[in-house]
Amino acid sequence: MIESVRETQKKYCSRAIIIAIFAGLFLIAGDYRPIGKGLVLGTLFSVVNFVLIGETLPLRLGKIKSKTLAIALGSIIFRYALLVVPLILAVKMEQLNFAATVCGIFMVQMMIIVDHFKTAITSTFRTIIK
Amino acid sequence: MAYDVQTWINLAAYVGGGLAMGLGAVGAAIGEGYTAAQANEALGQNPEMSGDVFKSMLVGQAIAESASIFALVIAILLLFVNPSAPSAITASSLFGAGLCMGLGAIGSGVGSGIPGGQACLGIVRQPAAAGKLTTNMLIGSAVCQTPAIFAMVVALVLIFIDYSNAPLFPTWAALIGAGLSMGLSAIGSGMGGGFAAGASCEGIARQPESAANVTTTMLVGQAVSQTPAIFGLLISFVLMFKSHEASTTLSASMALLGAGICMGFGGIGPGIGNGMAAEGAVRWVARNMSHAGELMRIMLVGQAVSQSTAIYAMVISLVLIFVL
Repeated sequence: MIESVRETQKKYCSRAIIIAIFAGLFLIAGDYRPIGKGLVLGTLFSVVNFVLIGETLPLRLGKIKSKTLAIALGSIIFRYALLVVPLILAVKMEQLNFAATVCGIFMVQMMIIVDHFKTAITSTFRTIIK
Repeated sequence: MAYDVQTWINLAAYVGGGLAMGLGAVGAAIGEGYTAAQANEALGQNPEMSGDVFKSMLVGQAIAESASIFALVIAILLLFVNPSAPSAITASSLFGAGLCMGLGAIGSGVGSGIPGGQACLGIVRQPAAAGKLTTNMLIGSAVCQTPAIFAMVVALVLIFIDYSNAPLFPTWAALIGAGLSMGLSAIGSGMGGGFAAGASCEGIARQPESAANVTTTMLVGQAVSQTPAIFGLLISFVLMFKSHEASTTLSASMALLGAGICMGFGGIGPGIGNGMAAEGAVRWVARNMSHAGELMRIMLVGQAVSQSTAIYAMVISLVLIFVL
């Protein structure tokens, strides 16, 4: 059960980090340093947030609805307190671009959606070819 | 006790930031709680499928919380914003931005949790369709985020557009009205989209071969469910970008504030109602694929009728803005 969650986390987190690092390097090389740095920083926290969602999942199961809701709210508050860090840094520091940091924060979600859309499109093409 | 302009701006920004994040967390927490509750039920039915259920829950929740991350971004901007031309009107635009984002994230948070929960239940019922279910859940959840994205756009406009040259009376009311119009109307559309997406996951689990028909009906149903949020967005844009004549009478301000309240509240019911119509159609398309066309037509007619109340609200809002 946990292995399957870890596999999913590994898949999306590694993709997010790799893309952010490559994009960041290109941006830094192209003299867009604040954008590159912001993207990498946001992605790092996006990954930590996604890992924490997975780690808190077992806590939410096997409980009554109201308790599940309370744990979900607590988990959100804790993880959001963490997500605030790169945003505050981006607002305060000129070396970090705010918009790029926000994009980085959504990097794992983007990887999930892209992966599933890619699978859906590929399977549709396969069906058409058959 | 008199306060200077900067104090008012700080006060509005802090209250707005608090509202953005406080209200924004409500929807996501309810949505995530719902997903987890359905995952409990799924695991109770078939504990051997726990790996797939957990995976679906993890991915679903990551997407479902996007609306509250939008709220977090707006809250941080409000707390640390440094207006280029601070004026008394900036205070109302910042407060309006916070209200808009906080309210606007509620519906999307709740709505996007519904397909997540139904996908967990569906995986247990139909393990072979796990891939189709997860993809459908993600598409449904992503569409549910649209009203929250509209709310974020309006909040960003309110934060970054310089209104310092506009007359304080009645523009202050127009800006708060813009926030209310978008924020409130997004609640119904976000939830309604979730109903349709949830029913589509249930339908695919019942009849995996119906996936294409179910997803198409879901997307059409969700698109119509978003219409009240689009009306809300339209009224917000009119309120934000129309140049309002200076008027110190209370009625001029109240007409603009009333326009926002009217469209905001007027959009909640139709958004939910449209979602219910889509939910019914999607559920029955899965059970009776041969009548998918008729079901979609009935859904669209039902949604058009349900929509009429949002149109009445929009008409009254436009009268309040342009006539009174």
